[in-house]
Order: sequence, then structure tokens, then C-alpha cells
Amino acid sequence: MASLFKDPSKLSAYRDRRFTGTQEEYEAALQASVTVYVGNMSFYTTEEQAYELFSRAGEIRKIIMGLDKNSKTPCGFCFILYYSREDAEDAVKYISGTMLDDRPIRVDFDWGFEEGRQWGRGRSGGQKELEAQRELVDYGGAFQPNAPPQYDRGDRKRGYGDSYRNDRGHYQRKRYRNDERSSQRAPDSESKRDANDSEKNPRFREKGDSDEEDDDYDKRRRR
Amino acid sequence: MSAGWRTLLLRIGDRCPEYGGSADHKEHIETCYGVLCREYEHSKDAMFEIGLINLENEDFAKGIVDTTHANLQDALHNENRDRIRILLRFLCGLMCSKVVLPNSIIETFEALLSSAATILDEETGNPSWQPRADFYVYCILASLPWGGSELFEQVPDEFERVLVGIQSYISIRRHFDDIAFSVFETDEGNSPNKKDFIEDLWERIQVLSRNGWKVKSVPKPHLLFEAQLVAGVSHRFSPISCPPPTVSQSSSEIVKGQEMHEADLKYPQRLRRLHIFPTNKAEVIRKECAFYLVSLPVPFRYEYLMAETIFSQLLLLPNPPFRPIYYTLVIIDLCKALPGAFPSVVVGAVHALFDRISNMDMECRTRLILWFSHHLSNFQFIWPWQEWAYVKDLPKWAPQRVFVQEVLEREIRLSYFDKIKQSIEDAVELEELLPPKAGPNFRYHSDEGKESTDGHRLSKELVGMVRGRKTQGDIISWVDGQIIPVNGAKFALDVVSQTLLDIGSKSFTHLITVLERYGQIISKLCPNEEMQLLLMDEVSAYWKNSTQMIAIAIDRMMGYRQISNLAIVKWVFSPANVDQFHVSDRPWEILRNAVSKTYNRIFDLRKEIQTLRKGLQAAKVASEKAARELEEAKSIIEIVDGQPVPSENPVRLRRLQVRADKTKAEEVTTEESLEAKEALLARGLEESKELLRLLFKSFVEVLTERLPPISADGDVPNLRAGDPNVNSAARDPEATTMEIDNENGADNDSQLNGQNKKIGHNVGELEQWCLCTLGYLKSFSRQYATEIWSHIAMLDQEIFVGNIHPLIRKAAFSGLCRPTSEGSHL
Repeated sequence: MASLFKDPSKLSAYRDRRFTGTQEEYEAALQASVTVYVGNMSFYTTEEQAYELFSRAGEIRKIIMGLDKNSKTPCGFCFILYYSREDAEDAVKYISGTMLDDRPIRVDFDWGFEEGRQWGRGRSGGQKELEAQRELVDYGGAFQPNAPPQYDRGDRKRGYGDSYRNDRGHYQRKRYRNDERSSQRAPDSESKRDANDSEKNPRFREKGDSDEEDDDYDKRRRR
Repeated sequence: MSAGWRTLLLRIGDRCPEYGGSADHKEHIETCYGVLCREYEHSKDAMFEIGLINLENEDFAKGIVDTTHANLQDALHNENRDRIRILLRFLCGLMCSKVVLPNSIIETFEALLSSAATILDEETGNPSWQPRADFYVYCILASLPWGGSELFEQVPDEFERVLVGIQSYISIRRHFDDIAFSVFETDEGNSPNKKDFIEDLWERIQVLSRNGWKVKSVPKPHLLFEAQLVAGVSHRFSPISCPPPTVSQSSSEIVKGQEMHEADLKYPQRLRRLHIFPTNKAEVIRKECAFYLVSLPVPFRYEYLMAETIFSQLLLLPNPPFRPIYYTLVIIDLCKALPGAFPSVVVGAVHALFDRISNMDMECRTRLILWFSHHLSNFQFIWPWQEWAYVKDLPKWAPQRVFVQEVLEREIRLSYFDKIKQSIEDAVELEELLPPKAGPNFRYHSDEGKESTDGHRLSKELVGMVRGRKTQGDIISWVDGQIIPVNGAKFALDVVSQTLLDIGSKSFTHLITVLERYGQIISKLCPNEEMQLLLMDEVSAYWKNSTQMIAIAIDRMMGYRQISNLAIVKWVFSPANVDQFHVSDRPWEILRNAVSKTYNRIFDLRKEIQTLRKGLQAAKVASEKAARELEEAKSIIEIVDGQPVPSENPVRLRRLQVRADKTKAEEVTTEESLEAKEALLARGLEESKELLRLLFKSFVEVLTERLPPISADGDVPNLRAGDPNVNSAARDPEATTMEIDNENGADNDSQLNGQNKKIGHNVGELEQWCLCTLGYLKSFSRQYATEIWSHIAMLDQEIFVGNIHPLIRKAAFSGLCRPTSEGSHL
């Protein structure tokens, strides 16, 4: 508290345990990174909402939603890739701690997205009256690593039926789902999930608002 | 005392544990002074402490004076504006603490004044650089609240000489018409009575001098210690030298204009800045800063001043000191730090700005919309909307109505439709202004019953191919073989783009995945601008309920070079969009994105080239060194059996050879990538030139078609004739100068507020369209002034020619800070 300025070299108290290099290399990666990690998001927050907010800090190259490994739906975190370092810095400085979708989000430098880091498994997420009517984006299929694209929206209906999902008995969430598709794809994704399970540990989030999260990522494939 | 001197300095005057809970200033200062001496460091913040140190350690203080001199000298030559200004204030502080002789201050002022006068001289200087001269005078004026009374007391005659010098400078300088940078456009005519920044400051300083230099907000800690301080030995501050004036290279109007633009960029005339937050990279601990902001040691309530300062920065033209999103954070922090006082001040400021929105610069309106929507998203979207419910009865082009509509649009983007709809339930009238609930609008949606059309059949087939993981090549030959021969290329584009957009409609990531995987199909179908225009029509039809998705899709397609920036400009200026110019931000957002994306790429390339140049330099040095070492090693020869043979160890030779080859290869690769980037930059610059040409041509075309003609006796039409604000302003010249830094602003605003509600919006649709489009023309000209100035000859030749409407010329030229009188046919 003795100074009005933070030590700029202290980037983040958070250390990704799956980073393979040394502490110095980790810090160098953080210093140069154009990627930010966004945490404590609502499960219902869409990429477009994040785009609207984060594009105010600069042009966005990519957004990678953190997904629940089983349901392939967002689970409260994402990575935003900018084109320039300055923009990523501004996102960390000016957006962290502000509200997105009524939740105070946390924005940190990230050493860079790798395939596999998008998987998480969440058990948090506030249920609000209005929120319950919102639609969770289903990322099923197309975004699994190594899986070829599975676009199967051509013949689906809009306003598909509701179905309740009971995930590990911890919470219930109303969501919309294309019944036809899930029945079609079930065997395929089941086998994929098994394969994934044996290969990687998902990013595990005990609490949505925890600052110290344990991270475990698949690091097979570097970009 | 364990706390460091920095803490103690910061905490002077606070009741805090560092000072053991004591609240006595004097005691604090003595404690801190003790620590400071022990740590033997000096601080720029505590001038009077240096005065105390001066009593005991003259050499130390002398050192500080000399360092200050060196710093000021550096700052003058490096044109570091903030440092010059702050160092002059620091000097005044040192003078007050009897560390520096008052006469030295006078000498410094006179040196700056004489440099300023030289710059203005046609013969010896270059009047284009008046901004620098103005800046020097500004720095003198700005330091006077800190030392004016002492100078007046101690060296009255010399001080009077300086003031006379300033007066004569003010009389020879050119009035600066900053119409381009005023947040509010007061009327269509010029306002010759309006004072510019320096004139205004000079007047205020004169008032101050008449009042005996009493400024409540300037702390005078040295007065407490006057008795001790007078015993100190004052040091002389050596004379300073200012950089020589930049002499003009040419007398052409264009070069002069470019120089003026450059000078104005370096020495902008608008310096209403907060000095609490640093501009450097060091990250600020915001909460701490907010704490200091809300507890400044001044004897009056300053929430209004603070809000005005923050809003004037947010709306500062051409650019705010920080990225606009930063101000959301500052305002949030202050609202939390002063929950009783600040939020209501913010509400007042928003209402005041809202009431004058029809006169506000277009760029400022956009910033205000973005800030306000973001601000509300941090406070549960709570706002007294019913107070603005009346705007729904205004015509759909009324600026206040458009403002509310755009704020709601941005709120929905940050949140979701139902939530925002709920937030305005006290003002249900405003539901009319909500955008449609977002969702795609797929033309070939498979519906039982009507699947018979060709489009539906082909679309379904394409979905099947995508799901069956057919390659782009397969799909392209399917399109070429099955659709184009039967239904034509336009129909093919229709079905393919609609279907691909639908496949990518789930999210931003789905969209870019589709564009990456199947982009070639789109590129193949859109080889020219005509087809690209159709593609944008398709995007806008598919996403007709989501402005954001139209903007994102077009932006990405430009990124993948499926659509050119020129095609985007043409599309934005196509009739359907031109009709939206005054009622929606939709076309402007797309245009802004396209232009900024173009220049972002150019700036990125410039940066990469700079890095590569440095890398090449290093690579060259390395490879030359390696080659030299190799040569030297080779040249060592000894005579064996009468024959000269290399004497160097062959292993070392081989190693040197490898290194020489490797470094040479590195040099070549760097050189090659540098050349590649330079070629890309050259192409980018050429494209940006075309972009500017088309942008201005399009603006001129649509405006020329619609602007009311000049009257027979040469009167420029007054587009704001129906605006009640302008009419009242014309009657009362004081009202026109009511900027946000006017102390009585709040009172005036509430009056205007009442007026507006009663009178409503009286500007006709055509006039409003013209005002809006002219406003954006000015805004683009200002935003990209540097780039435009580098192509000004081309624009003068092709665009700003002959009988171009004077209002168009005025809008573009004021954005460029270019005088309109010459060349105008009026």
C-alpha cells in the first residue's frame, strides 16, 4: 500500500500447473502473451456478449469458450486472443473486476491457448429467474479436438423441446436440446469422451468464484 | 518509524497508523522529513521538504536544482510536454521554499517567452508551429497559481515585465479555431467571440492576479515553515535554452497545412487532464487512487469538478488520453468510493449531456453510448428510464431518441433481450425502441410442407455435404456443376451463403470455423465487388435481427479477404444503408470497423518492420563478425615444406565456417521477411489510399445529392434552423459558450432540459440526415487526419474540387484543422 503503482513485473499470482517450462519461461510467456483468461463468467454468457465487452479493449482475433467436458456447454471461463499485446494489457487492466452478465469477472494474462485447454468441468453458476429461461450454447461435436466438424443443424427445428438435465445431482438446469441430434450422435460422442478421459484431465473448477483454481490441461498439441 | 518515506509522503495529512494516529500536519512533515533525510533520497513531490533539507544540506538541494535544470532542458528538447509543465510548477514550488532565486524563475519564463515570440516570426521562425509557442506560454501561465503571489511579492517589477510579455504574445498570436475538437457544435456559423484555450487561460490568470493570487485549491505548505525556510540559501537556476524553431521547408499551402497538423499533434491545445493517473505502463492500484481522488486536501466540494474532468477526458477529441473503456472503471471506482455523492453527480452529468446530445460531436456520441451502456451493465441496468420515455414520441431521427435506442442496443449486446426489456418496465413506451429479439433468419429453413423449392433442396444437399465432410474442392465443383448452370451465380451465392451462415450461426467461433473451412467457396463465388455487395446483402438478410452479428460477420469476411474494404464502403453507401445514416449506428459501425481494420493492419506491419529492421541490423553485425573471424583464421598460414598451408586447427576452422554460414543464413532470412513485410505494407498503403479516395468520394456524392443548395445570394443553408437550442443560443451569446467546464453548467442544463421537453425536436428529417452525415465526415477526417494529410494532394485534385458544397468542405477541413477560407468560392 506504500505505492500508488503496482509492480508491473508481477503479472499474476496464478500459476498454470500444466505449463511445461521454468518459472522464468512462464513469466516470459505471460509478458509477451496476447491471450487473456476470463474467469467467473456465468454459464449463460455467450461469446457475443464477451465479444461486445472485450472488443472495447481492442480487435479480437479469437474467443475460446471453456466447455463442460461432458455436456459441451460453457462452464464459466474463456480465453480471448487479441492481435496486439497492448490490447490484451488493456483488457486485463480495465475489464478485470467489472461486471459481465451481472457477474464480476476476472481477467488475467494467459500464456497462450493450446488445444485441450477449453475443457473444464463446472459445478457452479447462479440460477436466476431470468437466467433459467436462457439458452445454453451447445458446442457439441464440432469443437472436440481431433474430431472432424459435425454440423447438424440443417434439418433441426427451432424452439426445440425442453429437457431437464441432472448433472451429478448438484444442480438442475433447464436447457434446450435437439433430441434428434443427441440420439444420433450419442454413440459417437460417448466413445470420444472415453478416449478423452483416458488422455487428459479436465480443467476442474471447484468454485466459480475461487481465485486459486487447480488447472490440469491436456498439453499434447501445441499450436 | 518503520514506514518508508514514500508512504509517509503520501500519508501527510492523513490520520493513519504510519503517523501513530496523529492528525497534525506539522508533526507529520517533521517525521517524514526525518525519514527522508535518513533514507537520503529525494522526492519530486515534496518541494518544500527540499526547502527544509536545504537548511541543513545545501549541496543536496543544489543537486536537486541542477538535476531539475538538466531534466527541464531534456524535456524541452525531447518535446516531453507533461514534464515541461510539471517541472515548471516544481520550480515555482522550489522558489516558494526559498531553494531557487525568484530572478531565476523570471529568467526561465523570459527564455520561454522569447522562444515563443521567435516561433511566430515569419522570418526567423515558422508560424505553423504556433502550437509549440502556445504551449510554452501555457506552461508559464499554468505555473503561476503555484508561484504568482511569491513572485509578485519578491520581484514585482520583473514579474510585471513577464506579464506584459505574455500580453504582447497573446496579441500577436493567431486565434486558434478548435472547431474540430469541440464536443458541442454550437451553430453552423463561426463563433468569433469564443475564446480559445490560451486566451481563456490568460483571462483567468488576469483575474487571479487582480485577486492577489489567492487560489484555495493550491496547497501552500511552505507558509507553515516560512520562519525556518527564509534562513535557507537560494540557488540560482541556470538559464535554459529552447530548441530552435523548425524552419519551414516550403511555402506551399499543403506543406504548411501538414506542418500545422504535425505541430498540433505534438502540442495539442487541450490539456484538461487529470494528473493523478500516470500515462506510462506502470499499473495503477485503482482503489488507492480513487481513495486519493476522493480525499484531495481542498476546502470545497469537488465531485462536480471531478466528474467534469473525467467526462471531458472521455469526450476529448481527437482521442481521450486513455482508451475510453478506462473511464468506465474510473467512474465505477468513484461511485463506490463516494456512494453518497458521486452517483448522483454522474446522473446529473448524463442528463446534462443527454439534453445537449443533438449538438454533440458524432464521435463523442458514440463514446458516450458505449460508456453509458457499459456503466449501466455494472449497476444492474438500473436507470430512471421513465424520465426519457418522452423520446418515443420524437421523430425516429431525433438525436435523443437515437441515443436511447443505441444505448438499449448496446445494453442488450452486453446482456440479453429479456433482461433489458425488464429493466425498462417502468417506461414501457421505450419497448418500441428495443431492437428485435436477436436470432437468425434463415431463408431455406426446412419446414415440413414447403420443402419443394430449388433453394431448400440445394441448401439441404449442401448441409449434407458439410456433414459428410466433403472437401471445399468437392463443394466448389458441386456449386459449379449443379447450381450455377441451372440457377446462375447469384442464386448460388444466395443458397451457399445463407446455408453456411446458418451452419455457423451458433456462436462467433462457429462462424469463424465455417469461414475458415469453407471460405474458398465464398471467395470463388465473390470474385468482384458486385458479388461481394450481394454477399453483404445476404449477411444482412440472414442476421437482420442482430446488428452485432452483421458487423461481426462482415468484419471477419474482410479479415479472410472474402470481402474487400472498398466493397464494404460501397455497401455502406448503398441506398438501403444511406437511408439509415441518421436513424441508426448500424452502417457507421460497419464503416468504422472496416477503416480501423485497414489501418490496424498497417500499424501492425509498421511495428513488425521496425522490429525486423533492428533484427536485421543485429544479424548483419553477427554475420560480419563470424565472416571476419573465419577469414582471420584462414589467413594464418605457415610454411611447411616450402608450401604455405593453413596453420589453424581444422576443427576450429570448420566450426567457424558453420557459424559464418549460419549467421549469413539468418541475415538472409531476416532480410527476406523484411522485404515481404515491406511489400505487404506497400500494398496496404496503396489500398488505404484507394480506401480514402472512395470514402471521401462516397461522402461527397451522397451529401451533394441531399444538401439544400446555397441561396441565390450565396448564403449557406442553416441545417439547424429548427433546433430550439441553436435559436436560443443565437439570442444569448453566453449560452453558446456553455461547455462542460463552465461552473454554472448544471443550472443552465436544467433550463435547457425543461426547454427540450416542451419544444421537442424540430429539425426535419433531411436536415438531420445531413447534420449526421456531415458529423461523421468530420469525425472520420479528424480520426485519420495524419493518413489523410499524406494523400491530401490526391484528394484536393479529385475530391475537394470546384463547386463542392461549402458544408462538405467545412466538415472535412475542420476535421483536418485546415482553414476553409482559401479556396472557398464564397
